[in-house]
Amino acid sequence: MPSPFLTPGSHSSLDQLALLHLRRDHAIPTVLRLHDDEDAGYKEGKVETTRFGSFPHTTLTGQLWGSQIGASKVDTGSRRGRGPQKKNQKLKRKVDEIDSATPGESPKAAVAASSGFLHLVYPTPELWTTSLPHRTQVVYTPDYSYILHRLRVRPGCTVIEAGAGSGSFTHAAVRAAFNGYPTDDAPTTKKRRLGKVCSFEYHEQRAGKVRQEIHEHGLDGLVEVTHRDVYKDGFLLKDPKTGTSPKANAIFLDLPAPWLALKHLVRHPSDGGESPLDPTSPVYLCTFSPCLEQVQRTISTLRQLSWLSISMVEVNHHRIEVKREKTGLEYERVRGAVVFPKDVDEAVAKMRHVEEHSRKYREMMHQLDDEESTPMPASTKPEPEKEEVPETDASTPQTSNIPPYKQGRLVHRSEQDLKTHTSYLVFAVLPRDWTEEDEQRCREKWPPHQVDLTQPEKPKGRKQLKRERKERLEEEQKKQQQEDQQPQQQEEPTPAQEQANAAEQA
Amino acid sequence: MHSYVRPNQFVAFRLPSEATRIQKVVPNTSISLGKYGTFPANQIIGRPFYLTFEIHETPGEADSTYLRIVSAAELHAESLITEGEGDGDDVELNEDGTPVRSNRETIDDRSTQKLTLEEILALKKESTGAGKDIIAKLLESHQALDQKTAFSLAKYKLRKEKKYMKRFTVIPLDVSLLANYMLEDKDAARTMELRDELIGLIGCWGNVHHGGSTSFDETVTERPNGRYLVVDDTGGLVIAALAERMGILYPHDGDYDEEQQDAIERPAVAEGDEAEKPQDGEGQSSDTPRRPRRPHMSASGNTITLLHANKQPNLSLLKYFGYDQDSPSESHPLYTNLKTVSFMQLLDPNADNIYAEEPPVVPEEELATYKPSKRSSYHRKRGRWMRVRKVVDDARSGGFDGLVIASLMNPSSIMKHAVPLVAGSGPVVIYSPTVEPLTEVMDLYSTARKNAYIARKRELQERKEQQPEDQNEEGAKTYPELEEEFTLDPTMLLAPTLQTSRVRAWQVLPGRTHPLMSGRGGAEGYIFHGIRVLPTQEIIEAAGNPGRKRRKIAKPTETETPTASGIDIEMTS
Repeated sequence: MPSPFLTPGSHSSLDQLALLHLRRDHAIPTVLRLHDDEDAGYKEGKVETTRFGSFPHTTLTGQLWGSQIGASKVDTGSRRGRGPQKKNQKLKRKVDEIDSATPGESPKAAVAASSGFLHLVYPTPELWTTSLPHRTQVVYTPDYSYILHRLRVRPGCTVIEAGAGSGSFTHAAVRAAFNGYPTDDAPTTKKRRLGKVCSFEYHEQRAGKVRQEIHEHGLDGLVEVTHRDVYKDGFLLKDPKTGTSPKANAIFLDLPAPWLALKHLVRHPSDGGESPLDPTSPVYLCTFSPCLEQVQRTISTLRQLSWLSISMVEVNHHRIEVKREKTGLEYERVRGAVVFPKDVDEAVAKMRHVEEHSRKYREMMHQLDDEESTPMPASTKPEPEKEEVPETDASTPQTSNIPPYKQGRLVHRSEQDLKTHTSYLVFAVLPRDWTEEDEQRCREKWPPHQVDLTQPEKPKGRKQLKRERKERLEEEQKKQQQEDQQPQQQEEPTPAQEQANAAEQA
Repeated sequence: MHSYVRPNQFVAFRLPSEATRIQKVVPNTSISLGKYGTFPANQIIGRPFYLTFEIHETPGEADSTYLRIVSAAELHAESLITEGEGDGDDVELNEDGTPVRSNRETIDDRSTQKLTLEEILALKKESTGAGKDIIAKLLESHQALDQKTAFSLAKYKLRKEKKYMKRFTVIPLDVSLLANYMLEDKDAARTMELRDELIGLIGCWGNVHHGGSTSFDETVTERPNGRYLVVDDTGGLVIAALAERMGILYPHDGDYDEEQQDAIERPAVAEGDEAEKPQDGEGQSSDTPRRPRRPHMSASGNTITLLHANKQPNLSLLKYFGYDQDSPSESHPLYTNLKTVSFMQLLDPNADNIYAEEPPVVPEEELATYKPSKRSSYHRKRGRWMRVRKVVDDARSGGFDGLVIASLMNPSSIMKHAVPLVAGSGPVVIYSPTVEPLTEVMDLYSTARKNAYIARKRELQERKEQQPEDQNEEGAKTYPELEEEFTLDPTMLLAPTLQTSRVRAWQVLPGRTHPLMSGRGGAEGYIFHGIRVLPTQEIIEAAGNPGRKRRKIAKPTETETPTASGIDIEMTS
């Protein structure tokens, strides 16, 4: 069964993991099934209930990936099975009497609801990372993308991961190393090595969980989960002492004390056992530690164990929010807008307007004072009316032309929740073992002091070679023809021929 | 996998000055590293990567150059010693608590170095120990050396080492290294200042990976896996990054499980191949090729389709990976798996002469009478036409697994045509060195615009339904007014996100751990990401989070429904 993570195909299908995307960073992972394993008792079979409505799996299966799916009318109140509400007890019994539906029966067709929808998308390590059930601290996309890139994890690589944790790195690593599913009938040829991830976890329950997820996600054979204390027992597969070597090209250690595990990651283990590293390639290593003290100890141990190109970095990542910032007096009663003069001109105009108004008011008061000593209460009323009329007049032509989504100025800023520190990443490389014999053999193959003084010219392109060949052939043919016609006459070499000859000599 | 230096391969040399130099390792030539020395290429061919070599030579003696492998212990010697002494962490103190040495007395001029420039130059000339004796001499003759603190001494030694050590490290040339090289040592603008960490992010958000082995594909899925659509104006760096993730970048991709023996044997074979080619060109076609001849751009799955603005794409950086754009080697995986389509071919294929003008088919009998040259030219033209036809039609039919854009052009103009070609749930990723183009893209997919689009579309739909159905046939789904107002369909992308990432490098030395003091400024680099979705044609209201209030209002109606649901049950059973 292909994994939806790697080869999702075009449609969702039964018993596959699918993600129900509600909104950004909020997707519900679910394995599509017609019948509910927990037997929640929906008539529509297995149903996913979200804040945007209920979605029977029958409406999610066999759909094109990326489809927008409408919610269905699902009676969540009167279902069988684990009816929690007491008031439903009586109803439930009644239902049982009427409806003697057996679990084998096909689920009822869903009825579309009036509102609510979600998007059905196939899982990717990125979406899985934001929606997976947390067991430990998760390695997020900005970190693992950089780690896998620096570890040179490419199709066909074998990756060791210690501390499977919540499995986010596992999924990203298997995607990076994947270059085909293992098949039983075709033995892996010598030329082609299939990429895989060997995951080690010392917490038994977590290891079991990861194993179960790997199975559900169709990654069996691509990820091998081992329950192991790697500090003590190292990284061989199956049995810690006599097991087979994973022949790893890249190693990721997300452990509290990575330096304790490093003694097993050497070319020639001190106990004489097999090395878990690939003997024919350089091995890349990354450790993931939140504290500087851990980093210092790790690097010190790496130096003692002859790792090279040791470097340490931290990744600073932030997401950027883009908004239209609306500032101006015309945005009165617009949500999210700042009612404030947008520029000096507007401020002055506004002030001028207010001043004008108060001047008029004062004049009116003076007049009133002059005419009568008692002011009329109604005379103060028209003031707000007068104030608003010219302003709306001024602003309506501006805003009404521009649709609301184009109003204001486009601005960007970092999103509110910022991860300022995740962990320090230590990278190192262990080159291939190189012995004196290897060096000797290489010297025989490649004479160490042979340097041709005549530097070869820039190699000719394929097309040029072809053209030259063609020219030569044509020349020969021409020559032959001419010789046939006039066998006595000796032909002078043509310039093209000369060129071809020169090329041959070069 | 990069297990040893292959002949005629490009490799990188890391020099003591931290600079990187990229050179092709051609057998039987000498490689010059400028002031750090010259050595014969044969002395590194077949050797593993990441080893550090020291150039040793006896002055005035020919063929005396030899490379010594510097062991890891030697490279780390200084750090290991300070750690071993255990005084790396704390500063030596006097009895009164002040540091024994401080920089208070340091003299900041050149008078402390007693060796003159001439003397140093003379030393360099007769130096034999790969520069180590020069450094020793310099340290010896530095008057105020004992006044230096441990830190400044280490710094001084490092500075001198960088200047005089004849050392280099051989590093495999891969995308990560090339990106840093272009950024630090070359013209960063050529690669749109694309940084390494963003290449990782592009690959991950683009969900770029190997499409799986073909034999398995055929049995399971009907459509080929792993087809990616790319717009790349970084000279091929993005293509290289994606190809690396898909396992089609390196000429030897696919040759994996090599034994140590094999690794030693191989160079001769590889050299034979390479050496033969330029010398006897005619041997190429007559030799029976190892694998069946694969036509250019013929792969169905695990492919990259490159959209380019000009007649020819710029893929100059791919030469470092053995893929020469002008005369690609047929054995390179990109030969079959990289397809190129120009924007004009995509939008208006009939404007393209090659696509539009089919070379007339010549019957076999007539073909037999042709001269060989004319016959081959006929086959070439025919093949080219069929290739262009197939590649362009494939691209136009869409269904790509992802879209990656790193372009100098306005992103929205590309998205207008490229996003609809992505299959549902496929990712769309755009890189830009500056944030402004991407904020505009974000704005094109803003919630406000999306809502306005949906409302306007519904309005037009209803108006159309009211109208008599005379020209409904052709214009059933297109609304010119809608396209005029909204340049692209905002409902096509889900969860648009804009992000940036930057790594900060640290120095970790015993007792001297801190972030690096200086780095490279320039473009920050931003990534836009969204998921292509297929909006339904029906009208669906969004059901927001129903507030408490509404639920309370809904309650009384719900109490009335049980009878209704009872009917439902009766109907089904």
